[in-house]
Amino acid sequence: MTAATADLELLSITKNFNSFVAVDSVNLKVGRGEFVAIMGPSGCGKTTLLRILAGLETASSGQLYISGKDVSDVPVNLRSTRLVWQNYALFPHLDVGGNIAFGLTLKPYDKAVVAGKVKAMAELVGLSDFMGRKISQLSGGQKQRVALARALVTEPEILLLDEPLSALDAHLRIRMQGELRRIQRQLGMAFIYVTHNQVEAFSMADRVVVMNKGRIEQIDAPEEMYARPKTEFVARFVGTNNLFTGRIQEIGHDRVIVHCAHGQVVVMTDDPPPVGASVFVVVQADKLTPAPIGLAGENRLDATLRGREYAGSHNIYLLDLVDGTEVKMTMPQILPVEINRPVTAWFSPQNAALIRGAA
Amino acid sequence: MSSIDEAPPSRRMRTPNDSPLKVWFLAPLGLWLILLFLLPLLFLLWIGFWRVENFQAIPDFSLSNYTDIFASFFSKSRYGLAMIQSLWVAITTAFFATILSYMVALSIAFAVPARWQRLALLLAIAPFWSSYVLRLYAWQTILSRNGVINSIMRLVGLSDYRIDIIYTQIATRIGLIHYLAPILIVILYVSILAIDRVLIEAARELGCTRWQAFTRVVLPLSRFGLMTAGSFAVIVSLGDALSGNLLGGGAGTSIIGKLPTYASMIMSDYSSSTNLPRTSALATILIAVMVLALAVGFVLADRARRRIG
Repeated sequence: MTAATADLELLSITKNFNSFVAVDSVNLKVGRGEFVAIMGPSGCGKTTLLRILAGLETASSGQLYISGKDVSDVPVNLRSTRLVWQNYALFPHLDVGGNIAFGLTLKPYDKAVVAGKVKAMAELVGLSDFMGRKISQLSGGQKQRVALARALVTEPEILLLDEPLSALDAHLRIRMQGELRRIQRQLGMAFIYVTHNQVEAFSMADRVVVMNKGRIEQIDAPEEMYARPKTEFVARFVGTNNLFTGRIQEIGHDRVIVHCAHGQVVVMTDDPPPVGASVFVVVQADKLTPAPIGLAGENRLDATLRGREYAGSHNIYLLDLVDGTEVKMTMPQILPVEINRPVTAWFSPQNAALIRGAA
Repeated sequence: MSSIDEAPPSRRMRTPNDSPLKVWFLAPLGLWLILLFLLPLLFLLWIGFWRVENFQAIPDFSLSNYTDIFASFFSKSRYGLAMIQSLWVAITTAFFATILSYMVALSIAFAVPARWQRLALLLAIAPFWSSYVLRLYAWQTILSRNGVINSIMRLVGLSDYRIDIIYTQIATRIGLIHYLAPILIVILYVSILAIDRVLIEAARELGCTRWQAFTRVVLPLSRFGLMTAGSFAVIVSLGDALSGNLLGGGAGTSIIGKLPTYASMIMSDYSSSTNLPRTSALATILIAVMVLALAVGFVLADRARRRIG
């Protein structure tokens, strides 16, 4: 993606709070109409990054471009981004209509123009019947819609959303996810969506950014991130993955053999690290199955069953390998093995991914 | 199972905090209010209906005090004019005291770093630690014709200019504002503190300049505090006679005229006539005006609060 088609571009944005580095030289390009989710554990710098984009914080160093213009030093009230706040931050002294119109009334618009825009926006988010309501009379979902409408009505170039659905109950959250996606497509506006909720990020975003300790770990489409995590952190943070540490022992034409503590593992790869390199082998929990009878040594995991969690649609089995490594295996069926009995699991070489370890 | 069902419903507490004892915790306050507020107030009301014979107050139920007072309300006795003077002085005092205190409270809440705010508040209410009368005498020293300000002006060669506000209602207001400010600052600081800072950030983020964020968010959300502080200031100013006597010189000048405030008129009236029933009637009228002012303030504050929701 070139800078000309990028709505937003961050060039080595860094933010220090005294000696603490909250955001560490972040580079990111967001295209027109793209939905990007920024995900990470609390304290990873995702909210600080969002506040820098909004202009609420000034970056210690780095540049920020919106539609090709350097806006690094543009004050918050003159930015063309708009933020949807985590706890809505609605004005309690104004009614729903007053809240939505707030940003427009600051500009020298004609009253009729403001009223028309507010009405159209209220329709888009489904609030037409609530215009005269007080904020205290609204439900969580309705407040969320007001917050969204208040930001969108000012026609920003980019909408920033800070965990906007975290205060809603599960059912409403899923409905609002779909609605946010619909509105985003309809307006063709770039959305930058900060969340710590993996399901939310993966089901809504075109691309997901995973952050840790102020740095970006990986930027990828959700499917890609899920299937091929690039760092140990992403592998542990995303989904339910099993990680085996080991060293490359042998390189074949499309596969490598990795020597791990519990034995040898075969992994398919096009881009093998050199022999002797330290690596992580990542296998998703649902890619593990009980070993077929008569299976040869390849990718066998001899283990002891330590426990079972019933999760409705599937079962999660906790296994201990001979070297003590803990492994998770999920499958819909019941495993006919008792707790503390030996069990052999297996995975296909195609279903494992390699991550280069730290040197 | 059945033992739970059989538990007598009357003994069941509605909330974990419920206790039959809690009503008794109101007893000291109730006793205090009855003994030191309600009974004296009723006594005052009652004495207002007594009459005087041979310089002796005699218990009675006569309206003669009130008919006397109202017969010459605006003419000879000029109680009415004093009441107008009082209302004028009280309302303007409350206005300026509230604005001044709001500015101080705003700067403590927004300009002072969080860990110094307690100290700043403490300093702002420091005048409260010295006696009110002492402060009035201090102001007399500062404001009088040969006082601190005029002496300094003479020293620096500005003898043509002289501030001449002692024994006017301006001086009365200065004394009152100095008295009121610490209390108003606390009331207003607390109401500013209750404003969610995120709302101010949100306003800025939506395009407000700093000034717009103040006029569109901070000021409307302070309205309840401002009304509360303002009506409190009106009532205290209406009832105060000391500033009017010591700084206003009893009958200080204002744009309404050279008239005493109602409260200082009651005071001088009583010391010259020692007519207790008549003075009680006068005081009752003042209390009625205060209750009215309080009611107006309450309605305004409540309306402000309901708008905030």
